[in-house]
Amino acid sequence: MLNKRLIFKILGTLLWIEGAFMTLCLIMALCYGESDILPFAITIIATLIVGTALRLSGRHASSALSRRDAYLLVTVVWIAFAVFGSLPFLIGGYINNVTDAFFETMSGLTTTGATCIDHVEGLPHGLLFWRSMTQWIGGLGIVFFTIAVIPSFVGGSVKVFAAEATGPIKSKMHPRLTTTAKALWGVYLLLTAACAVLFFVFGMSPFDAINYSMTITATGGFATHDASTGYFHNAAIDYTAIAFMFMSGVSFALLYSALFKGKARQLFRNAEFRFYAILTLAATAFIVYFLLRYNHYSLGYAIRVALFQTVSFITTTGMFNEDAAQWHHITWVILSLCMFFGSCAGSTAGGFKCARGVIALKVLRNEIRHMLHPNAMLPVKVNDSTVHTTAQITLMAFFLAYITLCFTAYFIMILAGVDSTNSLTIALSCGSNVGPTLGLEIGPTMSWSILPAGVKWLLSGLMLMGRLEIFTILVIFSPSFWKMQ
Amino acid sequence: MKVIIVGASAIGAHLADLFSKGNQDILIIDDDEQKLERIQANCDLMTIHSSLSAPIQSLKDAGVKNSDLFIAVTRDEYLNLSLCVLAKSMGAKHTVAKVENAELTDPQTVSAFNAAGVSTIINPDSLAAQDIVGGLELTWARQRWNVHEGALTMLGIKVREQCQILGKPFKEIFKPDSPYHIVAIKRGTDTIIPTGNDMLLTGDYVYFMTKREFVSSLRGIVGKEHYPEVRNAIIVGGGKTAVSVVNKLPHNIKVKIFESDIRRCEELVELVDSSRVMIINADGRSVANLMEENIRRAEAFIALTGNAEANILACLMAKNLGVPKTIAMIENMDYVNIAGNVDIGTIINKQALTASHIYQLMLGGDVSNMRNLLTVNADVAEFVARPGSRITSKRVRDLGFPREAELGGIVRGDKGLLVNGDTLIEAGDTVVVFCHGTEISKIEKFFL
Repeated sequence: MLNKRLIFKILGTLLWIEGAFMTLCLIMALCYGESDILPFAITIIATLIVGTALRLSGRHASSALSRRDAYLLVTVVWIAFAVFGSLPFLIGGYINNVTDAFFETMSGLTTTGATCIDHVEGLPHGLLFWRSMTQWIGGLGIVFFTIAVIPSFVGGSVKVFAAEATGPIKSKMHPRLTTTAKALWGVYLLLTAACAVLFFVFGMSPFDAINYSMTITATGGFATHDASTGYFHNAAIDYTAIAFMFMSGVSFALLYSALFKGKARQLFRNAEFRFYAILTLAATAFIVYFLLRYNHYSLGYAIRVALFQTVSFITTTGMFNEDAAQWHHITWVILSLCMFFGSCAGSTAGGFKCARGVIALKVLRNEIRHMLHPNAMLPVKVNDSTVHTTAQITLMAFFLAYITLCFTAYFIMILAGVDSTNSLTIALSCGSNVGPTLGLEIGPTMSWSILPAGVKWLLSGLMLMGRLEIFTILVIFSPSFWKMQ
Repeated sequence: MKVIIVGASAIGAHLADLFSKGNQDILIIDDDEQKLERIQANCDLMTIHSSLSAPIQSLKDAGVKNSDLFIAVTRDEYLNLSLCVLAKSMGAKHTVAKVENAELTDPQTVSAFNAAGVSTIINPDSLAAQDIVGGLELTWARQRWNVHEGALTMLGIKVREQCQILGKPFKEIFKPDSPYHIVAIKRGTDTIIPTGNDMLLTGDYVYFMTKREFVSSLRGIVGKEHYPEVRNAIIVGGGKTAVSVVNKLPHNIKVKIFESDIRRCEELVELVDSSRVMIINADGRSVANLMEENIRRAEAFIALTGNAEANILACLMAKNLGVPKTIAMIENMDYVNIAGNVDIGTIINKQALTASHIYQLMLGGDVSNMRNLLTVNADVAEFVARPGSRITSKRVRDLGFPREAELGGIVRGDKGLLVNGDTLIEAGDTVVVFCHGTEISKIEKFFL
């Protein structure tokens, strides 16, 4: 039996929090005195009214949160955030249809960063800030944020955390979930602040510095310029962005112990981090080679753009400082591979996650060894701990679900008449929450506004499934979820 | 000296045997009357039958207060530890506890236990593992015993046709500067302390004493140059000893462990480094299984199951399949002699190893290192010559040293020296003595 009242109550609280975030944007709008003051004011009032209504309807809720409730709650929360988050775009008339507005907000919250606004520079500052804000909240998770702010929220239930957290191994750093959440958000805040300061030092305006730092540490990819970071033509900014994208792709728990507990060596011993670093370097090296050979770039420039693009794709950020559409097509394959793997579990990045990649490759190697040694016990060990068979099966099921999902989306897009290369990379891009697409019809630097409305709804769903790691949503669609027992 | 032993299973019984031969006052406590009776029938000691779960009264009765050595070797390692703590607080001078868990032997834990009153912690598995690993490093010898970090080495070698000194009387081949010294020969069931007229025959098991720099030339003399270095080893039986061996082995040796119990396999996977150790869930006594895992490419085969017969047979099979180095763990003392005559290479007996390790403690400061050699029923010990002791008074040939004992070599400073009749031992020298059928305390008198 679902505990609807409790879900309403929690949802109401979360909408208040969304209202609070929007208030920050309203303040930003008031500072600049632009046309988005009224839309924000209306949205905030609407959000608070609905939030209060939900809270009232869930007044006498019992506090027992079942596993089902947790899955449903997390899914509903993300959809509700996207619905209310899209209101400022619609009310202000910056986006004139519901599809695009919902897509834009969902793309923001899931840190995908695909946009259907052709000319972002035309948007008022308050709204630009809201776009970046959606990514920043979505980075570590909406519910996870609330756990850090309100300790009593969901009674420290690990179920909710598990439904939203990413990666194959969900470990706590501290016995108390709230403390864990605070520590991770602390790391996140520190990264964002450091990134903003550096951007400002290297010549961005304060507004740009804040926006770019928020979307980069969230590995989101929304920019306040159509040309993304390419707008600045500044190597220092590019390398700062590379560094912070890369760091945001590392497990925050690992970053925390490296930064605050002086266990930096642990970072380099971590199998997932090593896989992530090696994959990044290898992909960069390949792309540099192709850029030198076919595009005749200078070595320094080739490294800069190749590293930027690789890190941007592997961390599923989706920023760009050069148009990868001009590159040799083999680089697209490499970038697609990076998109697929993504970076470390427990970071703000999406994708299959390197931890899973490491385990899956070890399972594969063991299968081959097993052909030669049929009686051997071949453990899959990651960082000296064994991954048990059940976990391996879960991982393989996830892999299957991920691939099936992307291919279904690919298939439907082709039916809808989208270019085939684009279809494939769009599917991967949404499933992994990256943002740009590689292809002949839509280039990596272009907006997705020309896609049909139906496809946009499909992609919104795909992005959410990618962010919540598929199973959380898939389970809601299973018949047994709704059976009364 | 008063020694109290708690636990009358294999190690306890072996200890009782060693100590009672040395004219010590031994008390042995156990809750199994049959075991006690069996020991009492063979050794001169006193037994106390008492429950091990409430042992305090019987510890008092046994007179722990004025005991010199308290040894707890029951099956339960934590009982052993807590008995030692109790005994120490009651007044025992030195306490020894046997533990099963290798984790309890790491230096930090040991010092914590030392502070609590456990003077020595002994882990039979890691002692056995040390021996096995040492054996794998020197594949052509069956036994090896180092004195002073290897300044002198005693090697037990089975000589075959390839040996260059077969059939020649020792007085012809030995010169004062010979790179080795033969301390004992085992021929069939006899142990021979060699004289000038003796000679080596094929199949003899010979104990050589040599210096570090001569080890490789000795290898040539005994004709063992064709023994390859160990790169791949196969272990049958994944018990604690196997884990200990694997964790002590150099990292360039790849190991396959055969274990037929699937549950144990799952545990093993957690305990070993899977990059160089492969756990195989199959019966290691089956030739087909061994062939499938390429036993012909292995240079060493170690049988460590709990079953002595199985270990002996498995080693024989491995020898037949062409594995040059085989090691068998044999728990049953009766088999040790027979196994020595059958061609199965090195024999490891955990109980005897542990017992002789503990026995050293009794011998005190003058005997720093001692070892019981099972195959020849003899002891090898290191003594330090005190100033003015009898051993320093005359040249070796004029000392009137017992015929059953042989001086193997001496370590002076850090340098090893071999002994011949003209050697004069100086005060402060560490002297290695090989003694067979005589009491080690009789030898000890020469050094006091």
